[in-house]
Amino acid sequence: MMVNKKEQFIKTLDEHKKIIYKIVNSYCQNKEDRKDLEQEIIIQLWNSYDNYNSNYKYTTWMYRIALNVAISFYRKEKKWSLKNDFFNEESIFKIEEDTSEKQTELNYHLKLLQEFIHNLNELNKALMLLYLEEKSYEEISEILGITKTNVATKISRIKLKLKKEFKNI
Amino acid sequence: MEAGELKIILAAYNTKLDEKLSLNVDSFKSINLEKSEKRTLSILKYRIIEIVVFSLLALFIGNYIASNWHQTHLAISGIIVGLFTLIALAGSIGQVTLLNQIDFAKPIVEIRKKIELVNTHGLLFVKLMLLSTPIWWSYVVVASDYLFNIDIYANMDVDFVLQYLMVNFLLIIPLVWFLNKLTYKNLHIAWVRKTIGLFTGSKTMKALAFLNVIEKFEQ
Repeated sequence: MMVNKKEQFIKTLDEHKKIIYKIVNSYCQNKEDRKDLEQEIIIQLWNSYDNYNSNYKYTTWMYRIALNVAISFYRKEKKWSLKNDFFNEESIFKIEEDTSEKQTELNYHLKLLQEFIHNLNELNKALMLLYLEEKSYEEISEILGITKTNVATKISRIKLKLKKEFKNI
Repeated sequence: MEAGELKIILAAYNTKLDEKLSLNVDSFKSINLEKSEKRTLSILKYRIIEIVVFSLLALFIGNYIASNWHQTHLAISGIIVGLFTLIALAGSIGQVTLLNQIDFAKPIVEIRKKIELVNTHGLLFVKLMLLSTPIWWSYVVVASDYLFNIDIYANMDVDFVLQYLMVNFLLIIPLVWFLNKLTYKNLHIAWVRKTIGLFTGSKTMKALAFLNVIEKFEQ
């Protein structure tokens, strides 16, 4: 039963790995911190797995947990759960690096975008991530817990800020 | 960069992640998934200890008031100390309630507020400490009577008691104003920031500052 649950969890995690990967990269610049945060998010997702409320989309549930853990971690609350008794040399999410010219250009733009995100505060970072993921205002409002009107206002401000920041690119 | 260009970059990034990102199952399997949230549990443990201590103190004070009901000055002192004990007890019960409501699957703003309110618990004790300055004699009267069986009040000069009561009564109004100012909403005022910083730690200050950020984010 437990094995089935774990397999199901791995499957779900694999389907939504991009969510965790992007959140971790937005909240942590340091490689070791990224590994710790990955693990904390996964542990929290596992602990909440049985209580998933099907009234919400699976991604909404996942974003809420991952962002809540990431914000706690970012605010130096990483001792929320004790450090692992093992130290994992490998990241849970592996990415193969591609050095082609096209990828190098993409990486350059992504780096700029990430720097922009890193400079936002914890809550605006979450909003920005959801905006870049093209989530609907309704889903963003459900994840963050603010009104749809507020989401719309903040997104229009973010768009302006983005435009201003990247006008020379 | 226009919105269209941004979309192209993000689409390319998503394609890259679809192709190149994989889950390292071996690494995943070595995580201790059953690990509990030790920090939440440890804060909860401290708050429960506080509840037990304040409850015992409230019972003791209640008993003290009942035993000294006919000695007005002792009964009044006991009531004052009891009132502060009950406020502290209510604060600790509120913290346990907040801690039990922390569920990371709930909306971010709601959970962050609860976490930061837990982190600002120290401010309640600072406020209680400051609020009890005008009536600190109540503590001395109760403690000396209970511990050493000495009734300080009986040895006090009547004029001193009257002056003390008058001065402290007048002190209550500015003190209430002062304490009302000590909230995260007034952190932009330098003396508020300095006073809170002086009596509480950097953790409380950080939490108060973040409550401000949350409030602005909600507007």
